[in-house]
Amino acid sequence: MLHRSRIMLIAVLSSAMLMAAGCTLRQSSPPLYADLGGESGISAVVENLMYRIADDSHIVGFFANTNIDLFVASLEQQLCDISDGPCDYQGPPMDRAHQHMGLDNSHFNRLVEHLDAAMIDEGLSLQTRNRLYARLTPLHGEIMRLQ
Amino acid sequence: MRVTRLPRYTLWRCVCATLLTALSLNVSAGSRLLGTGGVSQIEGAAGGGLSPWAVLAGTASSGEVGLTTVGTRAWLNDYRLSVGGVGLNLHDRLELSLARQRLDLTTLGGKLEQNIAGGKLRLFGDLLYHPWGIWSLGLQHKWLEEGDLARAIGASDTRGTDIYLSGSKLWFSAIAGRNLVTNLTLRHSAANQGGLLGYGGDQKDSASLLVEGAVGLFITPSWIIGTEYRQKPDNLSFAAEDDWQSLYSAYFFTKQVSVTAAWLELGSIAGLNDQRGGYLSLQLAF
Repeated sequence: MLHRSRIMLIAVLSSAMLMAAGCTLRQSSPPLYADLGGESGISAVVENLMYRIADDSHIVGFFANTNIDLFVASLEQQLCDISDGPCDYQGPPMDRAHQHMGLDNSHFNRLVEHLDAAMIDEGLSLQTRNRLYARLTPLHGEIMRLQ
Repeated sequence: MRVTRLPRYTLWRCVCATLLTALSLNVSAGSRLLGTGGVSQIEGAAGGGLSPWAVLAGTASSGEVGLTTVGTRAWLNDYRLSVGGVGLNLHDRLELSLARQRLDLTTLGGKLEQNIAGGKLRLFGDLLYHPWGIWSLGLQHKWLEEGDLARAIGASDTRGTDIYLSGSKLWFSAIAGRNLVTNLTLRHSAANQGGLLGYGGDQKDSASLLVEGAVGLFITPSWIIGTEYRQKPDNLSFAAEDDWQSLYSAYFFTKQVSVTAAWLELGSIAGLNDQRGGYLSLQLAF
């Protein structure tokens, strides 16, 4: 009796883990770019994000020597590319772009919170936000590689 | 009567005051995202309810320090478990915790009390960002207040140390666009019923390697539901010991306040079968 329930539970746990792995591998049918609202949607999110960064004394310093117009255009292009939109990211690789900035996880987390708040502000659903995060998380390793 | 009730009211007043303070002042929470510190498990470590996870308490990240406090109660058929604990997170690298458990034997009469000092070191990774998730090594040193009952039923020791290795990972957009958390913990332990019935016994005196697992789905960024499983040794011939299971739901009101409700299936405990019941836990983080 006990052993049966133990085996059942292990089966449930492992199948849930497999399902998770399977679902992340499979590409969902509606393109993410469209769910983000296309060019105008991405542009609105990035603008909203920039205002939040400007108001955050913990991270605004990292943008002191940044050409904001170029940065905004590059970020929009990257989000368009990563969400399967009609763009090809032309900016620098993430490790080089953040080289020796002295970033740690606390800075990264703050940016993620601002991005999430910006996307909520612009009316993006939880599903759309999570789908974008699934594609953005691999960038963390690249951004932190040359700190 | 009045004298015995007074401390209880004072305690609740303190809890309410702390709760209000935490809710009103958005006190310096860490920068890690909501829910990424899990909740406090019954031995004081960050995790689910039953099992420690690889995540460290609260939301402190690099260069930040976090403090968590927890109060937990579980109502089983023949027992009532109460836990109070504190956890300290240093830079999302090291977690130190202290917990005190009291098991009231509501049917048999009497109580068992145990203290647990815990440490958990994050080896590498991150729950959200690392492809392999987060991996941590932890230990829990536990000692019973009075070991007479444990010794009487055949336990060889009244104190012991559990060592565990945990891995946790969050899978973004895993099920219906929701994020899924999975945790696997391997524990080396000789504890009988988590240590409340002592350590080792006449049937098996040495520590066993035990598997604990958990899954949880974030229905919203603030609300997770899931299930946990904790394998247990069976060291005492006096009474068989079963594995523990739970279904849980945790709600993170803010980074400072979370409430966990669960249904526990703990099997046979000290000869009384089918111990199941509700579980409620309040965690405050600073």
